[in-house]
Amino acid sequence: MREKILYTLGAAAVLLLARNIWVMLTGLPDEAFQGAIFRIIFFHVPAAFTCFLCFFVALIASIGYLKTGRMDWDALAVSTTEAGLAFGAANLISGMIWARIIWGIWWTWDWRLTSMLVCWLLYAGYLVLRRAVEEPAQRARLAAVLSILSFTVVPFVFFSIKWFRTQHPQPVLYGEGKMDAGYRAMLYGNWVPLLMIAVILVMVRMEQEKRLRELDALRREAHAF
Amino acid sequence: MGDAAARNFQYLAYGLIAVWAILAVYVLTLASRERKIGREIESLKRMIEDREGK
Amino acid sequence: MLYLRQAWTVAAKDLRSELRTKEALNASLSFALVILLLFSFAFDPTAELTREISGGLLWLVFAFAGALLLNRSFARELDNDCLDVLVTSPVPASALFLGKALANWLLLLGIEVVCLPVFGVFYNVDWTRQPAWLALVLALATWGVTVIGTMFSALTVNLRLRELMLPMLVYPMLIPCLMAAMQLTTALVAGQAPAGDQLAWLRMLVGFDIIFTALSVALVETVLIG
Repeated sequence: MREKILYTLGAAAVLLLARNIWVMLTGLPDEAFQGAIFRIIFFHVPAAFTCFLCFFVALIASIGYLKTGRMDWDALAVSTTEAGLAFGAANLISGMIWARIIWGIWWTWDWRLTSMLVCWLLYAGYLVLRRAVEEPAQRARLAAVLSILSFTVVPFVFFSIKWFRTQHPQPVLYGEGKMDAGYRAMLYGNWVPLLMIAVILVMVRMEQEKRLRELDALRREAHAF
Repeated sequence: MGDAAARNFQYLAYGLIAVWAILAVYVLTLASRERKIGREIESLKRMIEDREGK
Repeated sequence: MLYLRQAWTVAAKDLRSELRTKEALNASLSFALVILLLFSFAFDPTAELTREISGGLLWLVFAFAGALLLNRSFARELDNDCLDVLVTSPVPASALFLGKALANWLLLLGIEVVCLPVFGVFYNVDWTRQPAWLALVLALATWGVTVIGTMFSALTVNLRLRELMLPMLVYPMLIPCLMAAMQLTTALVAGQAPAGDQLAWLRMLVGFDIIFTALSVALVETVLIG
């Protein structure tokens, strides 16, 4: 059953992606100033959406773990955090390549870039913390607390960096402004396959957590002799 | 249009490749972890069976 | 009332043991002074430049020195299983946490008070022009640093690589707090009372302190006891 869901989701995601890329390349006109490169936005922005949605689910899962103490919640939290980091990295890297063309530089300390990077580091810390704790229940507990603290600090990070960076003249001024309806439809339309991929990744990762617990039990059994 | 558009297309391709490469790397780490878990579970099970057999 | 007295007892115990041994205090203070010295090599300390970046410079020093101090906060209790005794004592975990945070706050403030005149002398800056506001900003931002730092000190106390883990987790969390402190301190050292944007930063700092104090008090029990 689970396998079937995974394969169906995967197939649907691939089909949707193929259709979206086709429409992107043939159906949508080039953006007036940027030429073809602007199409990165259809992956860049949905990747950021997916990333934050993942972190939000991780927050809920962390609260769920602290409330119930069930390891499934912990598995969900770590799976969504990892998927979120993967999509966050995709967002950052695609943004850098885009920036290279439009702004002429790989990186600028604009508030959006900076705060995304800080978020990424915060959640990377989550994974590092998990690696440092051996005992599963303790690991789940500490990681859940860290996830809650991290999610709380994210809005502070966003606002503070925004204030800070807009008080200075920016090296590059770039606003999205109004977006054409066709572009916007594509932006959200392409979010769907990315979300499907995220769901697949999370499901696979959760299954692994379950097997890791099995492995842990077996290890204990083996050492009990 | 021609030259500039071509250059941008090149970087568009780089961008998309980068996005999928990152996800592919993550999938590969998932797969390798899967294999490692499977191997360890197998060897532990065999070990336990051996001991019980004696 | 009892709760506050319990928190104060823990704080007094921490302060007393720290002031007697001075192990974290000495390390942290000398580290802060060395960084202050090193910054003079990183850039040419002319008067205008120093005034522009004074907040950033000071708070980097305080954050680095604070990490050394906070590392010891819970780790100190590991010898002779003191932490287990503290956790099993009738003091609630949140009072224990608040007491430790209070002690760290006072110690870090002490380091800051020593560093400021040194900074003034080395970099030829008159930092005393807004003493009341500066004291308020120092108090608020240092509380932000210590409340997060003490929380993570509790979180990482039983981990391998504790000394590496704490700064790695704490600094990204502290970015909003440090940024507000840097902005405000730079303006105050230049002699401007907070107005407009600066007040927004001050409000953010207060909000940061309140939210993370509340969150830490609520969560510290799960961290220490489980």
